[in-house]
Amino acid sequence: MQNNEIKKIIIAGGGTAGWLAAALFSTHIPKERLEVILIESEEIGTIGVGESTIPPFLGLIRNLGINEQDFIQKCHASFKLGIKFDDWYKNGESYFHPFGQIGSNIGNTDFYNAWLFATQNGLDTPLQDFAPASVMARENRFMLPNRAQGSPITNAAFALHLDAKLVAKYLRNHAQTRGVKRVEGMIERVETHENGFVKSLITKRGEILDADFFVDCTGFRALLIGKTLDVDYISWADELLCDRAIAVQTENIGEPDAFTTSAAQDFGWRWQIPLQSRSGNGYVFASKFISDDEAIATLLSQIKGKPITDPMVVPFQSGMRKEIWAKNVLSLGLASGFIEPLESTAIHLVYRTLDFFFRYFPDKNCDEALARDFNRRIADDYIEIKDFIIAHYCLTMREDTEFWRWCKNQKIPQSLSEKIEVFKKSAALRETGPEELFRAPSWYSIFEGMGVRPARYNFLAAALDAKELIPFLNKISPELNDFVKTLPTLKQFIEKNCKA
Amino acid sequence: MAEIKNIIIVGGGTAGFMTAASLLNSYAKANIKITLVESSKIGTIGVGEATIPTIRAFYNELGISDAEIIARTGASAKLGIQFNGWKNKDSSFIHPFGGFGHDFNNVGFWHYLNAYSPEILDGGLDNLALGAALAKAGKFALPDPLKETTPIYARFDWALHIDAGLFAKTLKEYSLARGLNYIDAKIENIEINQDNGFIKSIILEDGKSIEADLFIDCSGFEALLIGKALGNEFESYDKYLLTNAAWAMPSKKIENPIALTKVTAHSAGWQWQIPLNHRTGNGHVFARDFMNDDEALKILEENLPTQKLDDARLIKFTPGRRKSWDKNCIAIGLSSGFLEPLESTAIALIQNGIERIKMFFPFNGIDEKIIHEHNRIAQKEFERVRDFIILHYKLNQRGDSEFWRYVAQMDIPDTLSEKIELYKKRGHFVRYSWEIFHHISWLAMYSGFGILPQNHEPLVENMGRENFKNALSHINSDVQNIVSRAPSHAQFINHCNNIAG
Repeated sequence: MQNNEIKKIIIAGGGTAGWLAAALFSTHIPKERLEVILIESEEIGTIGVGESTIPPFLGLIRNLGINEQDFIQKCHASFKLGIKFDDWYKNGESYFHPFGQIGSNIGNTDFYNAWLFATQNGLDTPLQDFAPASVMARENRFMLPNRAQGSPITNAAFALHLDAKLVAKYLRNHAQTRGVKRVEGMIERVETHENGFVKSLITKRGEILDADFFVDCTGFRALLIGKTLDVDYISWADELLCDRAIAVQTENIGEPDAFTTSAAQDFGWRWQIPLQSRSGNGYVFASKFISDDEAIATLLSQIKGKPITDPMVVPFQSGMRKEIWAKNVLSLGLASGFIEPLESTAIHLVYRTLDFFFRYFPDKNCDEALARDFNRRIADDYIEIKDFIIAHYCLTMREDTEFWRWCKNQKIPQSLSEKIEVFKKSAALRETGPEELFRAPSWYSIFEGMGVRPARYNFLAAALDAKELIPFLNKISPELNDFVKTLPTLKQFIEKNCKA
Repeated sequence: MAEIKNIIIVGGGTAGFMTAASLLNSYAKANIKITLVESSKIGTIGVGEATIPTIRAFYNELGISDAEIIARTGASAKLGIQFNGWKNKDSSFIHPFGGFGHDFNNVGFWHYLNAYSPEILDGGLDNLALGAALAKAGKFALPDPLKETTPIYARFDWALHIDAGLFAKTLKEYSLARGLNYIDAKIENIEINQDNGFIKSIILEDGKSIEADLFIDCSGFEALLIGKALGNEFESYDKYLLTNAAWAMPSKKIENPIALTKVTAHSAGWQWQIPLNHRTGNGHVFARDFMNDDEALKILEENLPTQKLDDARLIKFTPGRRKSWDKNCIAIGLSSGFLEPLESTAIALIQNGIERIKMFFPFNGIDEKIIHEHNRIAQKEFERVRDFIILHYKLNQRGDSEFWRYVAQMDIPDTLSEKIELYKKRGHFVRYSWEIFHHISWLAMYSGFGILPQNHEPLVENMGRENFKNALSHINSDVQNIVSRAPSHAQFINHCNNIAG
């Protein structure tokens, strides 16, 4: 075929993003047709705190041809049914964001609107009592939904909590057996062609590595997309106040939770991610209000088990590259942008970007129109996630610290304020793009948890009859609950099926 | 602002009665009064006789079956549209309601064709889509319920050719049986509330005034409320869409018609042919700047498939749209906008308009934010369809008349040129929100017009030429097998008419 094809790709940087890229490239394209080299340095550590995922991650594993059970065992992974948010709306109140569906359509009416209709006609069962993942999480029980076809939990979904370092190692092994070559070395210099395309990477030892296409996984340093190609970074510091995180690992105490906990703090929020072998913890905060030492002290006072690592400080800047793909460089992970891990989207964005990149796979010329459309689509994803994250903050009722007062009164992006407004007034959810990541049940969960309920159910529910609907809902909720109680606990499930 | 308790629909016809039936059905248990005012002295346009599959969901939701609609509206089945003479004078291709071939390893089927069988991608896709293959052979079969295991080429949907007058009549009866307050009268005047500019009432010819909280304008091109009374201007698309008139003329029924709408290009427009059970709908859509009315009529008469049943009627139009919700008035159908019926979208746009009314129904009073959101979506949806229609002209390679030469080189909206450019370069489909036509429809067009991507998708080599050719021949023989066993289209229609009694 044409000789203009990309024959050689260099991935700069290991870590989750780099090895994920290597694994996907080598799985999709045989090594005879595409040479993939990954250069990383032992001297540069990886961040490796992205340990909580969302359900499409399981699709990624399958896509790579990886055996789920083997992966879970080797990465010490545990199951995640959603996220529990403590103290976000008000101090002392919690809500749950489950994976999968909440109830099923009633006739032509989506479940949320049917529930709203019933609630406004006297039902007093909370929304999440109809979400199988929420009920399982509350009972700390687990079963793969596809092993319970036809049961009340069929429409649940799940993701994984995993050890990022072990994941990078697993993917590295996967990629290397498929022919990806690993080069140990520090990149000292980058050479470009006359047209500005990257030509080669020169290592400290003087090796010259050239390729047709480069993937920038160098983290916040953004060696290629930022330093070399000078693509601007759009900062969201005026919309998302947090700019630092402290991370620490602890021993597990008791049975692990089947969910990520995100507990609001005075100046940010704390995560707790239970793996099979240990837990990951962290405090994401706004350095404007507290110091690292204060944040460390706050975190250490709240963690449950004994710390097994020293607290690590991770500074960050929320935002994204103006172009995720520019010339012959694709940026991934932190090099391309950063959104705080409140909804566990970091690894997903890497996968999503790569998945899209395969759909747009260019030749050596890297057509600009192609890159433009690609960048438009990926930017939509970033904006969607950003809006979703801001919704967690700006809807708060808290006014007990300067941080929360700021959040409560912050200027909201128009796309989000319209979404909230439209929802309040008509119970309709405004779309963000043709392939949204967070679908209706996610928005319903956050809105309901943050006290946003439409003035009235949507007209689509007007055909329902409360006299039939309410008894029906009063029947299926306990059925779900009773069924969940017959399931194994998360710990039992893991021990039987996929113990590390 | 008070709750909405009273709705007046202005205008009968397809839009008016679809709106009435749907709202009455959804509203059965809500305490809202629905009135429809039409004058039996004013005719309806009723040209929307070809539909797309969404219409079936519409009447199914009302509790009306396919067979019942087929029997009551003299309908025939429709598996797609056959485009004759569009690419060049002798070309013909089908835009079916369904997918082509099969994707392998998450790589689109067309990429494989482009690399290994470009002669098929160049206008020869019909036999790789079961719906199209059935239609071409004069056959019809109901699609298998959609399962994950159903191969893409066997996934298809179907629509109907209907007599729009009979369809409206069916829905009128349905509405009356469900409590529609029906008034047959001409509207003399519209009264506006001077405080807020809202519509207060409509004054009938006998001087009687009727009030409502919400008005639905289904008055057709006249746009009595949304246009005349509220002063919303019409945004014309005549820069992109040159046709502005149509001669419509019924002819005798075609015996054993195939399940396709036929659209045939002429020198300054195109002709539709829609087979019904009792007659054939025909029409010639043309650009008056390039052809005079007499010539256009002559072309239609010369190209009728059967003997004519009635005199031709000239319908003049301007393509374009206007704001569809303003104050307490929502426009549905032609009052909100018009696009030539090349892709049979008129009824689908009405249907989506009704869905939007329900989605944004102003229970607790009318709110600017909601209006804004409603209009944003309506505009996007309409512009996406517009772009798809423009595509049909832009891609022609006829070169045999001033009209076709002009439209091949005219400026087009950026949203469309971006799409065409990326397909040409890379076989890539740009996707936007609120598109009625998905990538398979665009693929049908590109293929029919012989537009192939310049570059090959490198991932196809993972499957390789030989494996692909084997898969292709399997698909071909599978399609042919199913087609050979299927009953004829006429048998299917007879069956429906029999069971509906």
